[in-house]
Amino acid sequence: MIIFEKAFWFIKKGYMLQLSYKFDFFLRLFFMLFNILTYYFIAKLIGDGAAKYLEPYGGDYFSFVLIGMAFSGYLMISLRSFSESVRDEQMMGTLEAMLVTPTSTSSIIALSSLWNFIFASFRVLMYLIIGIMLGVDMSRANVGGAILILILTIICFSSIGILSASFIMVFKRGDPINMLLMSSSELFGGVLFPIEVFPSWLQNISHILPITYSVNGMRHALLQGYSVSELAPELLTLALFSIVLLPVSLFVFERAVLRVKAEGGLVQY
Amino acid sequence: MICAILYGSINSQETMGMYSIETRDLTKRFVLYRGFLDAIRRSEDRETLTTLNKVNIKVQEGEVFGLLGPNGAGKSTLIKILCTLILPSEGEAYINGYDVVAEGQRVRESLGFVTTDERSFYWRLSGRENLRFFATLYNLPQSAVRARTEELLEVVRLKHRADEPFYSYSAGMKQQMAIARGLLNDPAVLFMDEPTRSLDPGAANDLRRFIKEEIVKEKGKTIFISTHQLDEAEELCDRLAVLDEGRIKASGRPDELKSGLPEGSTLGDVFCHYTGKASLEGHSGSGSGSFPVHIPRQRGRGRGMVGKRGW
Repeated sequence: MIIFEKAFWFIKKGYMLQLSYKFDFFLRLFFMLFNILTYYFIAKLIGDGAAKYLEPYGGDYFSFVLIGMAFSGYLMISLRSFSESVRDEQMMGTLEAMLVTPTSTSSIIALSSLWNFIFASFRVLMYLIIGIMLGVDMSRANVGGAILILILTIICFSSIGILSASFIMVFKRGDPINMLLMSSSELFGGVLFPIEVFPSWLQNISHILPITYSVNGMRHALLQGYSVSELAPELLTLALFSIVLLPVSLFVFERAVLRVKAEGGLVQY
Repeated sequence: MICAILYGSINSQETMGMYSIETRDLTKRFVLYRGFLDAIRRSEDRETLTTLNKVNIKVQEGEVFGLLGPNGAGKSTLIKILCTLILPSEGEAYINGYDVVAEGQRVRESLGFVTTDERSFYWRLSGRENLRFFATLYNLPQSAVRARTEELLEVVRLKHRADEPFYSYSAGMKQQMAIARGLLNDPAVLFMDEPTRSLDPGAANDLRRFIKEEIVKEKGKTIFISTHQLDEAEELCDRLAVLDEGRIKASGRPDELKSGLPEGSTLGDVFCHYTGKASLEGHSGSGSGSFPVHIPRQRGRGRGMVGKRGW
């Protein structure tokens, strides 16, 4: 299976390039720890003060925010990874050499993002391990349910990322999809605080964002051990987002590639 | 009549199959951006710049074909269209009989591309790792990747440095690596965009010798070279075309091109005759004899004491 061999080489290339920037790697881990500790102490400060809002998610703020931060990283990676991998390869000068090979443009862009997703998964794992060391209880976790949520989250977020990459390819800069979704997801997606703190009319915004279902589903699966049937509302909503967004994003991407090929801007940045 | 149409179609297919590279009235117009609204306006309604204008080229199998032209003549655009990186606005182009628009993947399977851009490699990976990575993109199975990479490292004489990072290579070695990468899929057609541009005279001579001996004589590849180094074109190419302002001004064997001019004319004279431009950038610096420097015949400002044959 040649696609797996390609995937292996793209991951290997990403890994070797990452290894050659060791300082950057350790710096990122170091600041991740800082971030976790910041919220750990904020959680201590809050104590039981927010119990009313946190009840549906297990009742503990640190557990709530840890899952939110860890899995919102996937949204960030999905939104940025495809467009950034195009841009990085353009800037490094390697994109043209890849595009004259028989591997399709869409495969090159998808495979170029693989390492970023693996690195994001490593970060999530680190978040969870550090969280457990700091007292987060995941003894009841439904790992299978969490994996289902994760798969749908990646498909859904990647579709939005492909739309974002299409925009970047044509317009080069100033992608509104990325900006709008990142900032609205951080505020309304229930990453750092439960959406129940909003007035009900603002909660409507939260309900149209995929991240809301993703982080809530993860909390229910990992902290409260919900079964797959109990996770059905989140799973079905994420599946619906994926069914709509994936074909639309692939269609838009194909049109964007044709447009930049006609305009000669495929390898420009 | 139907027979005639069918015959015409079959005949056209046969003719197409005879050439490794063929273009028919190939035209490229780039849309010019004047403002933000252009980004959402239909392409047909926007101002355009014609970079290639009805270009017709036919390159036989095993031929070394050179494309001469000053900067901005459209050489790189033509190569990018033939390599499927850019879509043409009008006309047709075929590589090994495959349509560059409709059969992009087949085209890319048939060609190798050698670029002068050193940055087209991953500098922090070794030469061997770079070649293996790109070999996978050419759909070679892993068993073949290793063998092909080792074979090509041998061919370009870089096996002894193959595990060193790419950034530690000299300009000549980087160019050899670009050639090795271009040959990874054993292509029928090899495109080379100014292959000796960044090399010193010695390295440029070595590379020309390598192209001539190893790639042309040994492997019998069809080569399409874009260059503005005239001595290189004369040394390597069986046939040449002069491209200027998007049009093919002349084409033929070097001696045919010179035969229309006064006896003793050089390729520099041919270039000047057909483009009306000085070819200052054509100096290869290879030390292989003096190179004529011309003032444009039509645009000359009478600044120098320049004859038709140069200084």
